Amino acid sequence: MSEIYRLEAPYRGVYKLERLSFGSGSPSISVVAGLHGNELNGLHTCNIVAGLLKMIRLNGTVHLFPSINTFGMDQGTKRWPLDDRDINKAFPGDPEGSAVERIACALLEATETDICIDIHSASPLMREIPQVRVPFSGKEVEYARAMGLPMVWRREGDRLDTTGLIGAWRSEGRAALHVIGGRGATLDIAASRTMANGVMRLLYHLGVLPVPVDADENRVDTTKSGVQYIYGMIGGFWVPEVRVGDEVKPGHLLGKITEVIGGGLLQEFRAETAGLVVTARTYPVVHAQELLIRIAELS
Amino acid sequence: MSSIISVICSAGMPTGERIDIVRRRFGNGEGPRFALVAGVRGDTPEGIRVAHKVCAHLQEYHTALKGTVDIYPCVNPLAAHRGIRRWPFFDQDLNRRFPGRAAAHAPDRVAFRLVEDLQGVDQLIEVRGAHSAFTEALQAHVRKGDSNALNVAKHANVEVVWERCPGPSSTSTLVYQFRDSIVLEGGTGNRLTTGIADDLCNGVLNILNVMGILPDDCLPFHWAGVTRPSVVDDDSVYRLRSEVGGLFLPSVKPWEIVSEGHCIGVVVDPISGRHLQAINAPVEGRVLALREQPVVLPGTMVARVVRTDQNV
Repeated sequence: MSEIYRLEAPYRGVYKLERLSFGSGSPSISVVAGLHGNELNGLHTCNIVAGLLKMIRLNGTVHLFPSINTFGMDQGTKRWPLDDRDINKAFPGDPEGSAVERIACALLEATETDICIDIHSASPLMREIPQVRVPFSGKEVEYARAMGLPMVWRREGDRLDTTGLIGAWRSEGRAALHVIGGRGATLDIAASRTMANGVMRLLYHLGVLPVPVDADENRVDTTKSGVQYIYGMIGGFWVPEVRVGDEVKPGHLLGKITEVIGGGLLQEFRAETAGLVVTARTYPVVHAQELLIRIAELS
Repeated sequence: MSSIISVICSAGMPTGERIDIVRRRFGNGEGPRFALVAGVRGDTPEGIRVAHKVCAHLQEYHTALKGTVDIYPCVNPLAAHRGIRRWPFFDQDLNRRFPGRAAAHAPDRVAFRLVEDLQGVDQLIEVRGAHSAFTEALQAHVRKGDSNALNVAKHANVEVVWERCPGPSSTSTLVYQFRDSIVLEGGTGNRLTTGIADDLCNGVLNILNVMGILPDDCLPFHWAGVTRPSVVDDDSVYRLRSEVGGLFLPSVKPWEIVSEGHCIGVVVDPISGRHLQAINAPVEGRVLALREQPVVLPGTMVARVVRTDQNV
């Protein structure tokens, strides 16, 4: 483990940006997690990968950054606690700027690798199937498919915002994969294992890993037009009838919004198309126009 | 009736409660249209106080108005209710959601409806207090190169008019959506400071007078008493940052004159009190902003100093 960057912090220990490195030479891959302090599945994913890589001789370099926003993590906050700023809005950073800008700058420099992966969880209100989001075309699509995660979502313009890490990587010509899985503020062990397997499969695909990993198929390989968004038109109490990973057919009952007090039915939701539930609302109190479910067409 | 109160948008709560965003309109709809928006963030009550002070004055003189004045006293009422910056639950900074969306969550819908309601406005002013960790001198912000806004802002009874170049996130702010818009700011974040709202209210009334909406004899002050501001740009404003973690203890006040090398404050170790860093003024000028929340990390801004070798 090496220390990439440090900041003295009053009333507590030093902030350290730490990196776990394995192997040497090219190709080189960076895996970043925990830009948001309350998203912990990426941290667990990195730790699973680290446990596997330390036993294998690699034909390339793998850098793992399991937790960027450690101060947010130990206080359960998404943003940097001192000034409530989002590190993932501070790129490309500034070595003489505020704390989050300095961290962003140091991280961008430390991830000058051929392929970069940024792992997130959904918000604490939602759950996402493990998925990788990439542009419509290019090498990133090949890498995304090689991960074998349940969903490859090709989105034109996805993460073009260069104040975010994915956009900053892409603006510098690096292949960047945006991986999301599970729910924020909780540990989803199954999603973490799936994402860790995805990283290992990509390493095998690149020739970094000499031994194959159990193959898995992308269940969904789609663009935005292949994803159905279900929004509630009214606020109330959301009672789901499906979970992430469920397959549904047209007419399948997805859930209902009821009155908060009394439980009277306000709105019922049924699938319009067949597909896989890839996103599901977990927090039951909902406001009008909030996303409840996403269903993606099966490959 | 001196003003018409209209609900421009309602945010429904899951329990069925409705949170209304209201506009108070003075005047008969004729003449130039002026709008004052406050409470975009919930931790800037000074702006809300200014809005109510302006309303109280217009209530008295509404029959003399030669134009339309729309006051939006608080467009983020749920955040103001809790004294926090962002729209609660969605945890969204309303001032990063403009121009908003019609079919989306509450903060985006409020942003959309507000922009829609403001269409056709001749002069928009957003009034607010400082960031919650800072005290700011009385100042107006205009977009660099926006000469109309600059000319109007000079009448805002502030110490400084700052011509700012738009940053990467500025396109999603309220004022970016409208030409010639102005931001008025001053005081301390999340609290009321004696005198600040009076000065900003007088600045708004003076602008109404300059626009020909409020006649001379309806002003509560003599025009000669209005502060003539310095006009500065980004090159004149110096951000002073701590290079160590600790407690920043200021030794100056906002808008105090400082010479080059003047000590703005020191950073000390929070346990031993040991002196870690002196923060000195890089140029001769005045203290534009000063950190009030003392805990700092390396890189935390502790003050802004504005160079005063021009227009002062």
